[in-house]
Amino acid sequence: MANKTNTLDNLFGSKVRVKILKNAFRNYPADFNISELSRRIQEPIQVVKKEVAVLAKVGLIRIRR
Amino acid sequence: MLKNKKRKITKSKPKRNQKFPIKTVERKKPNRGRLYALNSNFEFFQELRSLILKASPAEKDQLTKRISDLGRIKLAIISGIFLNYGDNFVFNPVADLFIVADDINKRKLSSFLRSLEAEVGREIKFGLMEKDEFEYRYNMFDRFVRVLLEGPHEKIINKLGL
Repeated sequence: MANKTNTLDNLFGSKVRVKILKNAFRNYPADFNISELSRRIQEPIQVVKKEVAVLAKVGLIRIRR
Repeated sequence: MLKNKKRKITKSKPKRNQKFPIKTVERKKPNRGRLYALNSNFEFFQELRSLILKASPAEKDQLTKRISDLGRIKLAIISGIFLNYGDNFVFNPVADLFIVADDINKRKLSSFLRSLEAEVGREIKFGLMEKDEFEYRYNMFDRFVRVLLEGPHEKIINKLGL
C-alpha cells in the first residue's frame, strides 16, 4: 500500500509543491504570501518561490495584489 | 570628477530641544509582499481539490506510529481534518487530534505538531490530557470528552479499553 503523500509527491514531482497545494486548498479561499507560506509548511523560501511561480504560470495560482 | 553644481546651502537651526540632528521617522507597516490566491476558474480546480484533500488509510498508520513514538500513549483520537468523509462532509470538531498520555516529551510533541500542521496545511485543534484527568472527566461525563466521543472520530490508539 503506497503512502499517499509519497504518491502525490512523485506524481507532482515535488513534495514542496504538494505541501503548497495542500495548504492552499485547505485554507481556500484565504490568500497567502510567500514568506508566511514557507514558514507554515516548513520549507526553504527559495524553493517555495520557485514552486509558486510554476503554479502561477499554469494558472492555478493568481496574484491578488 | 566633481561637477560644479550649484547647490543651495541652507543652514537649519536645530530646534531648541533637539540635541541630535536625526529626525525620527515613523515606522512603516511591514510590507507583506505579493499576495497569492488559488484561482477557482482553473480548468481542473475541482479535480485537483478532490485529489489533494483525500486522506488515505496509509497516512493514518503513519500518524499512529509517529504518535506512539512520543511517549506512553494511552489514547489517541483523530477527528475533523484527519477523517476522510468526502468533500461535502463539514463539521466542527472539538479537536482534530486528542491524546491521553502521561510523561509526554514536550519538545518532541511540539516539533511533531508543527510538522503535522506543515503537512496537513492548516492549524490543528489539539488536546492533551494525562490519564487521571481524562478518566476523571470521562466518569464525570465532562462535556468536552463527551462531545468528542459522541461525534465522528476514530480511536487510533486505545489502551484504555473504551
